[in-house]
Amino acid sequence: MEAGKVCSSNSVLQARRAVEQLRLEASLERIRISVAATQLVQYCQEHGRSDPLLTGIAASSNPFKDKKTCVLL
Amino acid sequence: MGEMDQMKKEAEGLKSQIEAARKAAADTTLADAASGVAPAPRVQLKTRKTLKGHLAKIYAMHWATDCRLDHAMLMVSASQDGKLIIWDAFSGNKINAVPLKSSWVMTCAYAPSGNLVASGGLDNMCTVYNLKTPVVKTVKELDAHTGYLSCARFLSDTEILTASGDTTCALWDIETGKQKTVFLNHVGDCMCLALSPDMNMFISGACDSLAKLWDIRDGTCKQTFQGHTSDINAISFFPSGNAVVTGSDDCTCKMYDLRSDQEVISYQDAQLNSGVTSLALSVSGRLIFAGYDDFNCNIWDSLKGEKVGVLSGHDNRVSCTGVPQDGMCVCTGSWDSFLKIWN
Repeated sequence: MEAGKVCSSNSVLQARRAVEQLRLEASLERIRISVAATQLVQYCQEHGRSDPLLTGIAASSNPFKDKKTCVLL
Repeated sequence: MGEMDQMKKEAEGLKSQIEAARKAAADTTLADAASGVAPAPRVQLKTRKTLKGHLAKIYAMHWATDCRLDHAMLMVSASQDGKLIIWDAFSGNKINAVPLKSSWVMTCAYAPSGNLVASGGLDNMCTVYNLKTPVVKTVKELDAHTGYLSCARFLSDTEILTASGDTTCALWDIETGKQKTVFLNHVGDCMCLALSPDMNMFISGACDSLAKLWDIRDGTCKQTFQGHTSDINAISFFPSGNAVVTGSDDCTCKMYDLRSDQEVISYQDAQLNSGVTSLALSVSGRLIFAGYDDFNCNIWDSLKGEKVGVLSGHDNRVSCTGVPQDGMCVCTGSWDSFLKIWN
């Protein structure tokens, strides 16, 4: 035991866990942001046309707009 | 060198390694990469419905997955008036009101099947209810967390994920009422969680200002995302599953790409000095609806980082937001006791 230092087994366990976690995260293979960003942009472009909040909803097809016409049952 | 010193040294070394690897991958930002993309149009949405019925602050809301059944559009909300209300958003009618044992509720969730809902809060428990019995019945009280329940999300009628103020998240078997897996790694209260589109992973946000990606089946933390300087209150996956959006008490939202393992853009404004309480993405991922303490919900262009609209109408903090699966509207819930449907 080092002079002036008292390590509880709990902090040693925590420190070990932290190191293990960092080892795991350090081993990750990362792709360049330019590649990742291209794919995010692509996804938005491909799905933008079918995004009602982005394109807007015609009054006639807006299920939340109060309709004054009759509905066929 | 003692073991503690050795481990400290290794930890510092690994942190530097990770930082260097992230820097090496940071050849641009999302905003720069999207500079050629046409800006999103100014988004001006109107309140189509105001759902009145709660008598106190609303803390959470969640759309049913297959919400457009029988010409109704279902969602659940939770209020500190001690009730869960199931609403049909089309008509504004209340389908069910579930009285809670504890009124200090912080979260609610709708199961994908539509059969069950769940709630939890300062009682440290997650209570699961069956909506399909003649009278709504409590199915199980999931009791093992040692801190408040901040968020719950169903995987199915038999499994649910929870996030807690005890710094852990957990996967439960609803039938046995036991925790199958406990996710340990955060050092601050867990405030929010979101399921990946493929349901194999989930992300959590906590008061340690970190977001963490977890493998549901093996229980391990795969990645940790830094950058926020305060509690992360809201979190959501980008619809492709390759990125994550967070909202924090530091007044910003951020997007982290999972494969670059780092922040790719921040959504902030010098004039905005209220914390983010909630967020939801439109179906293409292009729009981010973020609820703030200042009573507004700001709309951000996710690719360019610019504000493209605002939903104003609540008289108190916006505490929850949600976009249904078909993307036809956005719901905001507030401490003013009302929910509003906008499109």
